[in-house]
Amino acid sequence: MSRVVITGLGLVIANGIGVKDAWNALVHGKDGAGDVTSFDTSQYKIHRACEVKNFKIDTVFKNETTANTIHKYTYSAAKEALEDSGLHDRTKYNCERFGIAIGTLAGELPPFEFLLRNSPEEKANGFDMNVALTYPPSSITTLLSEDFGFEGPNMVSLNACSSGNHAIAWAYDLLMGGMVDVMLVGGGELIPQTEFTHFHNLKALAPVKCQPFDRDRKGLIIGEGAGIMVMETLDFAKKRGADIYAELMSNGMSCDGHHMTAPHPEGAGAIKAMLDALSEAKLSYKDIDYINAHGTGTPLNDRMETLAIKSVFKERAKDIPVSSIKSMIGHTMGAASAIESVVSCLSIKNNIIPPTINYETPDPECDLDYVPNEGRERKVNCVLNNSFAFGGNNVTNIFSRL
Amino acid sequence: MNKKTVITGIGIVSPIGIGHKEFWKNLVSGNSGIAPMESLDLSRYHCKKGAEVKNLKPEEFLGQKGLRYLNKGTKFLASSVKLALDDAKLSIDDEVANQTGILIGSSLGNFSQTTDYFHDIVRENPSELSPMQSYDVALNSSINYASVIYKIKGFARTISSGFTSGIDAIGNAHKLIQNGKANIIIAGGFEQISFDLYMIFLLRKMLAGSNPTDREISMPFDKRRNGFIMSEGSYVFIMEDLEFALSRGAGIYGEISGFATIFAGNKMFHTGKRVEKARAAMEKCLNDANLSLHDVNLINANGNSGDLSDLIEAKAIGELFEKRGKEIPVCAVKSVVGECYGASGAMQTAAAVLSIHNSLIPPTINYEEKDPECDVNITNEKQLRDINTALVNSFDYSGNNSCLVLKKYE
Repeated sequence: MSRVVITGLGLVIANGIGVKDAWNALVHGKDGAGDVTSFDTSQYKIHRACEVKNFKIDTVFKNETTANTIHKYTYSAAKEALEDSGLHDRTKYNCERFGIAIGTLAGELPPFEFLLRNSPEEKANGFDMNVALTYPPSSITTLLSEDFGFEGPNMVSLNACSSGNHAIAWAYDLLMGGMVDVMLVGGGELIPQTEFTHFHNLKALAPVKCQPFDRDRKGLIIGEGAGIMVMETLDFAKKRGADIYAELMSNGMSCDGHHMTAPHPEGAGAIKAMLDALSEAKLSYKDIDYINAHGTGTPLNDRMETLAIKSVFKERAKDIPVSSIKSMIGHTMGAASAIESVVSCLSIKNNIIPPTINYETPDPECDLDYVPNEGRERKVNCVLNNSFAFGGNNVTNIFSRL
Repeated sequence: MNKKTVITGIGIVSPIGIGHKEFWKNLVSGNSGIAPMESLDLSRYHCKKGAEVKNLKPEEFLGQKGLRYLNKGTKFLASSVKLALDDAKLSIDDEVANQTGILIGSSLGNFSQTTDYFHDIVRENPSELSPMQSYDVALNSSINYASVIYKIKGFARTISSGFTSGIDAIGNAHKLIQNGKANIIIAGGFEQISFDLYMIFLLRKMLAGSNPTDREISMPFDKRRNGFIMSEGSYVFIMEDLEFALSRGAGIYGEISGFATIFAGNKMFHTGKRVEKARAAMEKCLNDANLSLHDVNLINANGNSGDLSDLIEAKAIGELFEKRGKEIPVCAVKSVVGECYGASGAMQTAAAVLSIHNSLIPPTINYEEKDPECDVNITNEKQLRDINTALVNSFDYSGNNSCLVLKKYE
């Protein structure tokens, strides 16, 4: 079984574009929330989201409809990650051993929404060739494969808010099993009005700001962006002399099997995901230096996640820094855990833990060290990254300094 | 040291039958599920035919409670999972729940429900829509529903890779079992016919009869082929680690022994290069299974009656198997069942494993006029034949080539 390492990173998020700007914004606690601009929210009670601002791309798109796809974010982050890894020239490699896996919740929807908004009276009028070409979710990865000349496995992971970590888990298995040498992996999301409405009507959205683990937390803020990593086998990375951010040690998966939208009250699934990740990595709960939390800012999730962390980390639970970058960039849904994985690697590289911002009032039920409001310098060798999705779909990944 | 993956249960909701027995009976008899579509109003359009699932009574499998919130695809999937569990004589009790995962492929899943929901958003006051209207619209909500009602605790994963989604899910599940990461995985693919999909395929001229002068018929590899016929359904398997299956005394339909996938973007490559990549995928898959070309005695083809896709597949088979490429039986079940996109690979896997299990190859119906460019061994008669190894091809028009190898369990 091969070991798997991360050699390139790319980010597009609400508080920064490109790894350098984004990381700087994250460690300084910059809030990316603002009023929604991509569609009219006048009929909603809530108008906030974490949209990516001032995004420019040397576009490959022919018209407004196709440009309105998550490809602009995934492409940009993927290009950055590939350049970062030193794999921008792929002519000397066997690209059948280069694969792509991207997670999204509903990345395929925005172009359709764009068209249906303009011709709401008849659904059929909304269809034209431009949409037909971008309709299936799998176009997210086929477009990337074509842009970068990858010829290996090609898959979109559609697992709601744990999509990114599922994509990473799948890539990890392919690399470990020797089916591929390199995987371009991550998640992307462009806020669909459909999902905004879905969360809005479930009363899951916060009115102004996202306050994970705060007593007065009111919900999540929806976000968008992309986080992409280059993952490869350790042997392949060594052979080509690549710089290594971290090793992906394991992924623990579980399923609550409990409810379509509510997490298991005692966090049974979350506990299993974390324990499985630790045991597969042959690590103890004592080895983890930082938990990059799912921390959505909803009353249910944050209470459940805190309980689950206490159950897994026992007497150490209160000593381990736990932070949620969703406080700054919102809940980027299918991209969230991928973005958080990129950030986990950056924490290991820089020995800095990004804060949970908007943290004002401690909650007696959430009594861990949430790295409130200010980033923290600290030796970080090993990070556990949680992602929990609707339907009780949980994936926990562990990254470690090589 | 690698573990072996076996199929111990098959659950099918298809246009030619509910349950694998009815599916198989109609498949080998060539009783096509293709007819003018009843679920869509196509009066304004010239392509009329499809293979729709009829006669499914989801309440028999799922009970009445909450049924009205579920869309068609979720009913297909959840019913087929029940059929597969019953077929494998497996109940997901506390003991096995943690070791059981569900891994399903779908290209478009609940897409039409999502667009319907969005239609309501733009026409009505969106903040007044009931949350139950979006209960089952996400692409993965069908899998979530199944995981909740069957109390699956291992993991739940939905993957989407176009028309190869189903076979990629099965391949992914095989690798997880092989590497010891799960003992039981419910894997397969599902899709549903909707107006949105119909329009997309019609606009792209992928449907049989897209040109009004052409016949609307599914005839894979036939010279007169001109596109596919839409289909729908759900095809899932109980896949288990061999040791685990034996320890619980499960019946075994066959073994999954290899998987490979190669991407050949149709923008990147001309036809010759795509043939080469399709061939490479088959070869890689056999290597993965540690089998040689001579072991293969059935090819369950992607063959969906598409002009270019069938040509590429036939040429790839010819180039890989050389002389034997004209002899190995090639069977295209989409002639009977139609093209169900992300579920197709799973449907073909069902047909292939039942071929192995029953020593019987279903007919490729409507095959009459040989295309000299597609020089493969197709027959419109069923054939009794002992089959040890079957290769399943699932190819996507946008570039994925995925293959699976199934073996007789002995």
